[in-house]
Amino acid sequence: MTKGAEVTYLVATDVGGTCTDTIVFGSDGAIHIGKALSTPPAFANGVLNSIASAAGPMGLSLEDLLARTHLFIHGSTVVDNTVLTRDGAETGLITTAGFEDTLHVTRGAYGRWAGLTEDRIKHPVKTDRAPALAPRDRVVGVAERVDCDGDVILPLDEAAVERAVRFLVDQKGVQAIAVSFLWSFLNPAHEARVREIVRRVAPQAYVTLSSDIAPVPGEYERTSTAVINAYAGEITRSYLTSLQDLLAGKGYRGATMVMQGYGGLLPASEAAERAVGMIECGPAAGVIGAKFLGDLMGDRDVIAADMGGTTFKVGVIQDGTLEYAREPMVDRFHYVAPKIEVVSIGAGGGSIVSVDPRTNVPRVGPRSAGATPGPICYGQGGEEPTLTDVMLMIGYMDPGQFLGGSITLDREKTERLFREKVADPLGLSVTDAAIGIYRIASAQITDLIREITVERGLDPRDFVLHSFGGSCGMLAAAFGEELAVRRVVIPYTASVNCAFGLVSADIAHEYAVTQTLPADTPAGTINAIFAPMEARAREQLAAEGVTGDRVRMEWSVDLRYSRQVHEVTTPVAAATPLDDAGVARLVDDFEALYERKYGKGSAYREAGIEMTMFRLTARGLMPRPELPEEAEGPADATRALMGTRPIFDGTSGGMAEGRIYDFRQLQPGMEVEGPAVIHTPITTIALHGGHHARMDRWRNIVVQYGG
Amino acid sequence: MDPMTFSIIRHRLFRIVDEAVITLKHVSGSAITNEGHDLMVSLYRADGSLLMGGVGFLHHLTSAAEACKSIIRRFAGDIHEGDVFLLNDPYTAALHTSDIYLVAPIHHEGRLVAWSACFVHVTDIGAVNPGGFAPQAPDIFSEGFSSPGIRLVRGGEICRDVLDTILNMVRSPEMVSLDLRSMIACNNVARDRMQALFRKYGTETVDAACATLIEQSESLFRARLRELPDGTWQSRQYLDVNGHTARVVLTMTKTDDRLIFDFTGSDPQSAFSINCTKWASLGGLFAPLFPLLCYDITWNEGVIRPVEMIAPEGSIVNCTRPAPVSVATVGAIQSVNNAACTTIGKMLAASDRYRDEATAVWHANHFAIFKFGRNQKGGYSIGILTETFAGAGGARSFADGVEIGGEIPNPISRMANVETVEGTFPVRYLFRRRAKDSGGPGQFRGGTGGEMALVAHKAPDGGIDYVISGKGARHPMSEGLAGGYPGAPNAYVWVHAQSDGTNAPVVATDGLEAIPGDKERVSWGVYPLKGRDALYVRWNGGGGWGDPIARDPAAVATDVAAGLVGADAAQAIYGVTLDPDGGVDTTATEARRAAIRAERLMQEAAE
Repeated sequence: MTKGAEVTYLVATDVGGTCTDTIVFGSDGAIHIGKALSTPPAFANGVLNSIASAAGPMGLSLEDLLARTHLFIHGSTVVDNTVLTRDGAETGLITTAGFEDTLHVTRGAYGRWAGLTEDRIKHPVKTDRAPALAPRDRVVGVAERVDCDGDVILPLDEAAVERAVRFLVDQKGVQAIAVSFLWSFLNPAHEARVREIVRRVAPQAYVTLSSDIAPVPGEYERTSTAVINAYAGEITRSYLTSLQDLLAGKGYRGATMVMQGYGGLLPASEAAERAVGMIECGPAAGVIGAKFLGDLMGDRDVIAADMGGTTFKVGVIQDGTLEYAREPMVDRFHYVAPKIEVVSIGAGGGSIVSVDPRTNVPRVGPRSAGATPGPICYGQGGEEPTLTDVMLMIGYMDPGQFLGGSITLDREKTERLFREKVADPLGLSVTDAAIGIYRIASAQITDLIREITVERGLDPRDFVLHSFGGSCGMLAAAFGEELAVRRVVIPYTASVNCAFGLVSADIAHEYAVTQTLPADTPAGTINAIFAPMEARAREQLAAEGVTGDRVRMEWSVDLRYSRQVHEVTTPVAAATPLDDAGVARLVDDFEALYERKYGKGSAYREAGIEMTMFRLTARGLMPRPELPEEAEGPADATRALMGTRPIFDGTSGGMAEGRIYDFRQLQPGMEVEGPAVIHTPITTIALHGGHHARMDRWRNIVVQYGG
Repeated sequence: MDPMTFSIIRHRLFRIVDEAVITLKHVSGSAITNEGHDLMVSLYRADGSLLMGGVGFLHHLTSAAEACKSIIRRFAGDIHEGDVFLLNDPYTAALHTSDIYLVAPIHHEGRLVAWSACFVHVTDIGAVNPGGFAPQAPDIFSEGFSSPGIRLVRGGEICRDVLDTILNMVRSPEMVSLDLRSMIACNNVARDRMQALFRKYGTETVDAACATLIEQSESLFRARLRELPDGTWQSRQYLDVNGHTARVVLTMTKTDDRLIFDFTGSDPQSAFSINCTKWASLGGLFAPLFPLLCYDITWNEGVIRPVEMIAPEGSIVNCTRPAPVSVATVGAIQSVNNAACTTIGKMLAASDRYRDEATAVWHANHFAIFKFGRNQKGGYSIGILTETFAGAGGARSFADGVEIGGEIPNPISRMANVETVEGTFPVRYLFRRRAKDSGGPGQFRGGTGGEMALVAHKAPDGGIDYVISGKGARHPMSEGLAGGYPGAPNAYVWVHAQSDGTNAPVVATDGLEAIPGDKERVSWGVYPLKGRDALYVRWNGGGGWGDPIARDPAAVATDVAAGLVGADAAQAIYGVTLDPDGGVDTTATEARRAAIRAERLMQEAAE
């Protein structure tokens, strides 16, 4: 490996719930990977460990690597973790008098059932809301009122605001204050005035205004967003500050960029003020990474599936674009912020396999053995059979080869407990029961992905499936075939996909103005809405050192049919600023999008079309690292063949002698025919009869089906 | 059959219903369907028996089964692939005319193998009052278009003549057209997915799985019933409408693995449109039964088999044509929901094993208020006040009811934001919040209901009008359990503004008393919301569980501090005396509770 002094590095680190992943791109074209356990709540330590684990095999110390690093990109689960562990600030809320219960009432039953599985929704007697992050005794209403046009109906009672602040800080010990008034996104003056008063009366308090953090209609979601941001704000700020200090202490001199849930980067100083922006930024980065790979491989339609130990996550990229979540939640709290949609369900390698004693019907999940005690075969005390154990029994895992041989899997114990708890109750042999469970898991994932695509008006047959995570490769070819996707790709960077996604992102700022206008609004009126947003964005990007042809302004407009509830964010395809023909095209594009998404005949044109929100995404393009490309050689993969053993072959429906391959010995161009298994250092790729796999020039494994 | 294949088919049936629901909401795009989740999608076997019920308004699951069976009888020999039938006659199977069923046969290899059915509450049905609830209807003939079965789609092609005829009879025909199209799309998705399932596994296997699914539900439900004590439990619901009180009496008898629900003793049918037909009563029983007794059992025909209903003909729960029924879903059906929740709750409470599944009544009383008139954009709008979906949870044996937590028969509703309403109707809220003293007192308190007030705001016609089918203002309906008290009743008040010479906007945030003007109680009919007048609505809290004087005094103090219970109620009902800083005065509380016990003994002695 070259260690020329001239080589510089781009380092990206993603902190996930379990692992902290690092990917390093050298200016010499080499890619290096690092992995360490996450270290909550002091996540910054795990970040340093992870970077150090990448540096080691490069023959560099952490300090050496950081000294030669020109850019550090970061994603972290710190905000999600703060909310999940209820570790945030003591938070109060100042709101419009008469509406003090908005946060706690959660639009009625919505907050009681949202985020629950269907099993739990069907059992309402055992459901409750999660206690709010700002308890009711820390909510104060003050007299003020703005109406639906932004007109002031009742002026702000400033004396009452001052009393409220003193009450919250002095009597309730509040450290952070969220402010959310009705219609503040149209007229933020009252909220802004409250911030001034807090600054004067309690300068130490952290303040979030709903009109700053979520200037959109819908007071429940806007209030909830402001409260979450206030709750996690100080922790986020100090986390990012201390991380930068730590890196600087180890010799890093460059800038730090932070991933946002919408898939764009912000400088750390700005990210520190928008805690909600970081929620679920890791999974978002994963989808961005899948999009980058898809673009590289010429695939515009990608389903990105990630299956680890506890969760199965799916993101959809359609025609090269990502979809934002309509009703994002963190834990069981709603918030509103642009966030890439990633659907998550509790299904992973650790999902527990059981047989309902009343009906003798087998099921997979929803309970999980998690990381501890984990699957039986890991030998860490797990006593309940999991999906991972099933994979061992159908030959997909090699007891001696797991995680590069670092753990020896306990096949005897696994088989004994699986027989006792699953096979015997079903009256089946261990092998037949395991095969059946594999089929059930594959069918359930098929159903889930089909539902997710139907929700978007899409057909899985038009998509390429990317498989990420430790458990996905064993199932992907099976459910991919049933969904009839075009092909399945197991990317070379699958083990650190979220970190990979970080380096595929651009700086991005999102701006929005809420205003309802008819579809035939003159272009000049629309341009006048965007002009101040663009000016603000250019100023912002310039302050970050982004100018000239690195700047991209992307306009989009939310439109809807009057009297229907579905709003569709429609990108402005015409040149901006718009002319009237450009507006007409926007409306046409909306109609096409609407019908594609909601089905033929869903549009009610007679009521007219309205524009409701004007969105600007201002991008500062980041240099993309080049993925090393290699020439494809001969198809013969014999050199990677490790031997054969019986594995489950879905095509014949039973166990078959499968060829076993070592991923590390495969070279671009080599081909593998199912039934076969390819062991990589972090996962296993299972191929059934009729599946053809090939290593492409980026070392991705590409699987196709039949004739 | 092979348990693996069975498990896969069962999972797929669940997902098929989900996909169909998504399609329904997407195409409809209406607020009541998307926010209120006032919808239902379910799958039926070839003979019309319930195979898989989805999460929606649950009292429709059995009625739609009857709708399928009724279509099978009426159109025998004339049911073809790609047909869709419409049925909304309450005397045939539907609940009321505005909840339209579309039922569609599913064929495989030329054979009828299953049915799908769905409903939404259509925007209008041409009744005497806009929106579907018709308090001014004297009979079914005034409640709009109704059909005992008509073919809307033939072989995949919409019958234009039929569709145009229906649309010709309703207000807002474009929205109704969209409602119907959303239901057609929903049935199409269900049919496509079911056909794919039959293609993949074959008719024999899928049929066997369906039969097994139903047998399993039946045997599981019977096993559960056998675990519960035998006995007879009763509930009485008093339903006031426009000054009259009607009574629904339910006696539930459980013997071994069977349940009989007997409405003998209920009042004769009403002159008002709160009545319901027998199919509606049956659905009204099952709406709470599914989630209370079968939360872990697939909702299908197997759950229906062990249950028998007796409903005297000509009574309010089995009315005869042409009695009006348009308010049934929030009238007699809801009383049936409540009564069944109570009798089932009493049975569960009598079981050590299942006591924690019992609940006092949730949201006993919808207040269907439809606003209509010209909006601030100049268009004509009809819309329900979605707060009616935001009922209060009943108390449980282990916890208070959920404040404004929804309802059992429609588990996943939600209400609209204030800003959404103000943006689409020319109204302004004065306040919307939890209502003090509305939750039924008990050792565990019923969830609080809410209160709100509206005024007209920047309305082109000076205001709008509303249809109100309000009940439950005289008698509390959310019964308590195990000694808990019922939740507070509803209140509907028209505040007539007094001129103060300024014409300044009305601002009042502190409840009804703070709104200046003469207060008139309203509940039934059509009223204006104009000028500076206000409409105040308070909605019921959930029933309580257990004796209020057994409630932890600290919990009462917390409730008082939060404004959920008044200090006077704390003293009078809970027997809790608070000291001036809001803490519990333990000595005074013990004395007060002892006095309450003594008073109760005196009462019994006096009888």
